[in-house]
Amino acid sequence: MIEVKNVSYSYDSGNEVLHDISFTAGKGERIGLIGANGAGKSTLMKAMLGLIPFSGAIRLFGTEVRKDTLSEIRSRTGYVLQNSDHQMFMPKVYDDMMFAPRNYGLSEEETEQRIDRVLKQLNIEDLKYRYNHKISGGEKKMASIAVILVMEPELIIMDEPTASLDPRNRRKVINAVNSLDAGRIITSHDLDMIRETCDRVILLNEGRIEADGKAPEILSDKELLERCGLELPLSMQ
Amino acid sequence: MDRIDRAVNDLREMDELASGDSPVHHFSALAKLTVTVVYILTAVSFSPYDASGLLMMVFYPLMIFQITGIPFRTYLYKMRFVLPLVLFVGLFNPLFDRRVMLVLGGLKITGGMISMFTLMIKGMFCLSASFLLAATVRIDDLCAALRKIHMPDMIVTLLLLTYRYVSVLLDEASIMNEAYHLRAPGQKGIHVSAWGSFFGQLLLRSFDRAQELYESMRLRGYRGEFPYARAEKEKGRDFLYAAGWILFFVLCRYVNIPVLLGRLFVR
Amino acid sequence: MHMADALLSPGVAAGMYAASAVAAGHSIRVLKNKDDENKLPVMAVSAALVFAGQMINYTIPGTGSSGHLCGGMMLSALLGPEAGFLSMIAVLTIQCLFFADGGLMALGANIWNMAFYGCFVGYYLIWRPIMRQEKLDLRLRIVLASILGCVITLQLGALSVCIETTLSGITELPFGTFAGLMLPIHLAIGLVEGLITSAVLLFVYSARPELLSGINEEEKKEGRMSVKGVVAVLAVLTVLVGGGLSLKASANPDGLEWALFGNAEEGYAENMGLDEENFGNSSSVSDAAQAVQDTTSFLPDYSFAGSDSELGTTVSGIVGSGIVALAAVGICLAGGFFRKKKTV
Repeated sequence: MIEVKNVSYSYDSGNEVLHDISFTAGKGERIGLIGANGAGKSTLMKAMLGLIPFSGAIRLFGTEVRKDTLSEIRSRTGYVLQNSDHQMFMPKVYDDMMFAPRNYGLSEEETEQRIDRVLKQLNIEDLKYRYNHKISGGEKKMASIAVILVMEPELIIMDEPTASLDPRNRRKVINAVNSLDAGRIITSHDLDMIRETCDRVILLNEGRIEADGKAPEILSDKELLERCGLELPLSMQ
Repeated sequence: MDRIDRAVNDLREMDELASGDSPVHHFSALAKLTVTVVYILTAVSFSPYDASGLLMMVFYPLMIFQITGIPFRTYLYKMRFVLPLVLFVGLFNPLFDRRVMLVLGGLKITGGMISMFTLMIKGMFCLSASFLLAATVRIDDLCAALRKIHMPDMIVTLLLLTYRYVSVLLDEASIMNEAYHLRAPGQKGIHVSAWGSFFGQLLLRSFDRAQELYESMRLRGYRGEFPYARAEKEKGRDFLYAAGWILFFVLCRYVNIPVLLGRLFVR
Repeated sequence: MHMADALLSPGVAAGMYAASAVAAGHSIRVLKNKDDENKLPVMAVSAALVFAGQMINYTIPGTGSSGHLCGGMMLSALLGPEAGFLSMIAVLTIQCLFFADGGLMALGANIWNMAFYGCFVGYYLIWRPIMRQEKLDLRLRIVLASILGCVITLQLGALSVCIETTLSGITELPFGTFAGLMLPIHLAIGLVEGLITSAVLLFVYSARPELLSGINEEEKKEGRMSVKGVVAVLAVLTVLVGGGLSLKASANPDGLEWALFGNAEEGYAENMGLDEENFGNSSSVSDAAQAVQDTTSFLPDYSFAGSDSELGTTVSGIVGSGIVALAAVGICLAGGFFRKKKTV
């Protein structure tokens, strides 16, 4: 489902952020993308969504990521931004959930049904008509996941979904993520969360893939993690 | 409280009021917008010397306050900076216009006194009408109404997005302001050495934010046309609501009801 | 500089709405032609930013008072005049609706006075010409353009307030006196706003120069008018008008009216808007008789003191008003008008 081949990216200034990244993943695979700050995680995700120009090739669902295929790829992919305030720009949660379906021309009835279904699935029916700027950080994160799920994506990409959440909300998000069938790529420094939500881990270091393998193996390799600026997850210590 | 925090509170309070559930809230946004505009136009067009005619216009805000249960105190509180100044508006008229227009008992009432009175009343009436519109219509409904009267998509969308980001950026500015003043006790404002960088930092971050926001929109299928809900149709009761009030305003404007009422008792 | 509804007649308000609508229509067309698809979020965030920015108090050295930044110039320097203008419309509309800053009917006039001058005049006649003076140091150009831009656009705005109020027939204050009071005050404000704005733009320039519009312009088409000339003329004009008027005003100080400005320094956005209104009405109503005639011709059987029959009408007017007031009070009592703030 995901093929990334020799992808590199440099800033205009010449700093290389991604260096020759290649990996493939099958349908429904659950991947954790980890690495220290500045390792290139966000850049790689943006490249996959065609938000930045890159060299190399990326294919999602068998379709190459190009300017003319973006619309198709994006309609099948959901991207949960780290900052929910950037993600949700409409006054109310409901409006935000309506945004993508309307853009893609789904019927209003169908969309309404989907909205109710998603809210129920995530157990946040009470947020439907709440104002985006009046809900708490944890609620916002759940809502921003709901906003993505309405489009019923086949692949979900999440940037630091548990950052700055309290333990209870973090738990809620983890449970929500684990209730989804879609394939996923999650970046985080919260390695315990990665351990709970992902089977496979790709470890980036300074723009290169340092390791790629089963989550339990990589997440228990203290020496490797520390070399890349990370620490063993608490549950492994 | 700081100006920024005050603005944050004001905005939230208006939001809460607008999400109320009174009969007035259930009329369409377009009907309420029309009534508000006609009300303001009518009120402003009264002659500065027609105090008694203008008085009838009090019934519109009065009824809306009554029906919605929007606390009058909130209005006064919100207007606490504006209202005294509006009241001040006509304060100098009596000094200049000393033409006696009426003698009541031994008291000489001058044209200036009357025009001062009507100006203050007009100022209060117009403010209350705008306030009641904002307090009974949610921003998204207002935007939908504006689309209905063919306000360009770009302006309406801009209004909607700006409204959303005003609260986000006010929060951010408020945090920065607090952080600044925690490290600069006793300063009233931003010191000249930080004039550029204080706001500049916020500006740079905001531009990055705009970029992310735009990405988030594009990722969800935005291609230059903002999608709105299918316009909700005005129902008969909306027409009745608007027509009723407008009729009342026109009546007040052209027939001096207080004089007619008075005639029943005097003469 | 926000005008309230009571300051304008419906006719003038409609005229200003029309003028602003033309400018807005033009801006939308230009933006659509340029196909700047990613402009909208940037515009919205910038508008919100200016809104938040105007809430920040900047200490003015040596005075103990504070100033604020100038939205129009800032936005047009960042976004270009058309996008800046539309963003200002969003700012002013939100201020009007949710903060009671300026009236709904006066919105068209407020857009014109603050957004049009700030963005279009500020950009095309000041910002861009100055940015093209390549002999000058770029930083100097930014400072010069910000200050001149703020001062001149604010003067134009203040002048418009006077004109609109006078045209509306709200003030009987002679136009010259009115303008003589408004302009000097706004000259001072413009200077402060210009300094703050230039400080911010300088910071932006040093951090992210590509954000400023009109700086790296390749398109230097249309036989540029003698830019220096324009700037010089504008500058001289400002000084002359501002200076001349302040001389005139201070030569004829009217204690009462100056007192109105007593609190102007404390966050002018809060006070200034209405200070102007005070001026609009602290007028000598020189021609009350005329106004009375207007009234009587409008409402034939309603007039003030004079002959006996008119007195009768007046008395019934007073009695009737009393009845109306009683009815209003009745409604208030019936519904617990001053009910406690309830949690919604």
